Amino acid sequence: MLTARPHRFVALLAATTIVAGAAFVAGVRAATPAVAEFFDDSQVQTIDFTINSRDWQSLKDHYLDNDYYPCDFKWRDQVVRNVGIRSRGTGSRSGAKPGLRVDFDRFTTKQTFLGTLKSFILRNQTQDASNMHERIGMLLYQRLGVPAVRETYARVYVNNTYSGLYTIVESPDKAYLDRIYGDKDGHLYKYDYNAGDSPWFFQSIGDDPAQYVPHPFKPETHEDDPQPEFVRNFIRIASTDSDAVWRSNLASYIDWENFAKHIAVEAFIADQDGFNGDYGVNNFYWYRWTNKNLFSWIAWDKSEAFKSAPTQNVFHNVLEGDPARRNRLSARAMTLDDVRNMYLDALLALAASAGERDPAAPDDTRGWMEREIDRDYQQIRDLVYADSEKPFTNEEFEQAVESLRTFARIRPGSVVTQVNTFRRR
Amino acid sequence: MVLFRAPPDAPVVAATSFTARGTPPPLAEPRALVGAFKEAQEPKKTAKSKKAKKAKIDKPAPDEVTDDDEATGGTAQATDTVEKPGPFVWKQHPSIRFGKAVRVEFEAKFQEDGRSSYSGGLANAGVDAWELHRNRVGVKGSVGKHIDFEVERELTEKELTERDVLVGLTPKSQWKDVDVNVDYVKNAQIQVGKFKIPFGLDELTGVTHNDFVYRSLGANYLAPARDVGGMVHGSFLKHRLQYAAGAFTHDGDNARSKKIQGGNETVAGRVTFRPLRRVSPALDTLEIGTAVALTALSDDSFRPNGLRGRTVITQDTFFKPVYVKGRRSRMEGDVDWTIGPASLRAEYTQVRDTRRNQSLTDGDLPDARYRSWYVSATWLLTGEHKRRPVKPKSDLFDRGVGAVELVGRIERVWFDSVGGTDEPFANSRAENILRVGDRAITMGVNWTLNRFVKLQFNAIRERIDDPDRNPVANGSAFWSRVVRLQFVL
Repeated sequence: MLTARPHRFVALLAATTIVAGAAFVAGVRAATPAVAEFFDDSQVQTIDFTINSRDWQSLKDHYLDNDYYPCDFKWRDQVVRNVGIRSRGTGSRSGAKPGLRVDFDRFTTKQTFLGTLKSFILRNQTQDASNMHERIGMLLYQRLGVPAVRETYARVYVNNTYSGLYTIVESPDKAYLDRIYGDKDGHLYKYDYNAGDSPWFFQSIGDDPAQYVPHPFKPETHEDDPQPEFVRNFIRIASTDSDAVWRSNLASYIDWENFAKHIAVEAFIADQDGFNGDYGVNNFYWYRWTNKNLFSWIAWDKSEAFKSAPTQNVFHNVLEGDPARRNRLSARAMTLDDVRNMYLDALLALAASAGERDPAAPDDTRGWMEREIDRDYQQIRDLVYADSEKPFTNEEFEQAVESLRTFARIRPGSVVTQVNTFRRR
Repeated sequence: MVLFRAPPDAPVVAATSFTARGTPPPLAEPRALVGAFKEAQEPKKTAKSKKAKKAKIDKPAPDEVTDDDEATGGTAQATDTVEKPGPFVWKQHPSIRFGKAVRVEFEAKFQEDGRSSYSGGLANAGVDAWELHRNRVGVKGSVGKHIDFEVERELTEKELTERDVLVGLTPKSQWKDVDVNVDYVKNAQIQVGKFKIPFGLDELTGVTHNDFVYRSLGANYLAPARDVGGMVHGSFLKHRLQYAAGAFTHDGDNARSKKIQGGNETVAGRVTFRPLRRVSPALDTLEIGTAVALTALSDDSFRPNGLRGRTVITQDTFFKPVYVKGRRSRMEGDVDWTIGPASLRAEYTQVRDTRRNQSLTDGDLPDARYRSWYVSATWLLTGEHKRRPVKPKSDLFDRGVGAVELVGRIERVWFDSVGGTDEPFANSRAENILRVGDRAITMGVNWTLNRFVKLQFNAIRERIDDPDRNPVANGSAFWSRVVRLQFVL
């Protein structure tokens, strides 16, 4: 007994230590918010930047440049120092209310925010008076089961001064790829349309891989080994192979369901500047899976969505519109019965989702999309009004929101009618 | 260099020349001056050998400026001078002379480089493996006895220190040395125009006289180089003490780039001294030097205006400029010693930039600090006495092989801040700048074929001491190699 007591004491001490350690670790984890809380759209987030006043002015003055400026970042009680921010965007660039890219690892390699975020985007919504196109568009992707970047609103303060309402947009990066695909070591490319580029409708570009990468397909991972030949091969097959071998040769490169759903959402939200956009191909990422030929589409920038009529043809720039401006891949895909049906089914699913009534409020005639618009409106109205840097008047904001509501009311029915009509032919 | 005129009693030999144009002469090329003094002091001791040497010495290298006419009032006639009737003369350079009143010499410098480095390094830098690195032409001369002038222009600017040029952008100015020197007062000569600010032993050494293909990192990134201004210079104590002091509009080409504005008004001064000239023949040529330069710094540019750190050949920027405002203070000390066929050089440079109103909250930050040092040594295997430029005892294909010289240099440049209690960061407004530096070792062989042609082979090992900013994965050291063919007319 005497000899057993010390053993019991040691065992008790060890158990106590383990329990206390576990509690401590749990406590630490509990003290650090999860990334999901940062993208929690049930509330407007608040972000503070501390930046040299001349840098902030310089960033505005030189908003067309991509120079990074150092700053400190704060969200809730989380402060990240040594952060880099820069002006970003293409058509949305603004000197009054610059869109921002926030890089946590710009000056400190491997620095992250909340454990995984290396960067995120603050979209300035200078092309969307409602401030909602981007977020509603991405939500529709998610409701269709297509992974999309997370977004939520944020009031942004610079040196304690309110600098406007922004939308936090998750960066498509390795952390994002890992989250949505569980595969992060493949090659990620951003279709990088620059002002002055000739519009591209997925025609053949040529055999030289350098004509594909780094421009217009900008490597976002493996920059030192971007493997442009895979991009070249995919596009060359898709744009030049004969009908007899087209599908079989593309089999390893394309997931038709992913593709059909991607362009279906674009069609549903009447995106003027997407893969089937009015200005040629734009606003998407391609992810080529690790050690595979397979490319997946990742949606990007829906600020130009919802601007066309809610009755717009669901085959716009695919089977309808100026033949010269139709997307060659999308149009050819519609010749495949199963792919066309995937596309039409996806449109119907989107219509059902957008128009879905709230089962908890039987008297509410609004569909999901209109309810979401109203919820957003309640969240951001005062912040939009207080945003002196926005390029729109408050009246234009109200009109844009109302137009969006109208779109939400009409679009589901219009899409259902068009799909049914097409199928009856 | 004609800017410092030799005293009337100085021997009429090539050693009376001082340096290539564009550098504060005696300070930049002290060896030639030392030779002159040594011979003046010991005229009988080496009379025979002097005669034997004279034929060689009288064949000055094209990039070595002799001033024998002026030193002797225009009476000297070098034995190898190819005199032709009329105004055209070819001695070192093709030249035109109108009596004693006007002399105009034409000169040209060409340097073709072949390089290699770590995989992808040259491509990242936009550097071709083979390129015409320098292609300079110019004229220099004198008007009367007291006015000298020089104009030099880079026709194909390929300076590695200016990456923008390498990718095809036009530099701010392709004019190099454009200046006039007046020496009515020998100990207070006045030089105006564009020329090198008197700072740094290595930086002031003429481009064709360097022991290495590339100057030291400190010379390339911390020393000022050329700018527009005026300078007074001269010597005392029978040239044992030499000085130069001037004011300039900015702080030199090395402080500027397409994105870096550079400093503003600059004052600089440099003094060199030979303290042991009469103590021992071995120590006779030991020269110590020091220089100071003060520059006004503005933050008018929206981009950082500090100095940067880059690797030697691949031009990887391992230290990006930080925001600065106030004053830039440069100081350097150097030692230069030549003994027989060998030479030794060492230099330490420190630069401090104040950073007023540059914190994230617009407050002041501790000074940014940039430092460098190098020690270099050379040895002429073929036995010539070390001088810059090296003169072979016997030219290749003229009963000889030219001059073969081994060279080596170890150096470091590093960047941080003075004080600061905050956590060190690598951003451009960090209170405490995270230290980073480059350690380089250069080994090489110089083969001077004759007075016109020189071949240089250098192997350079570099290592950036912050793995995150090292261009090679895992922070490994990397080797670069360069061969340079130099032709000077």
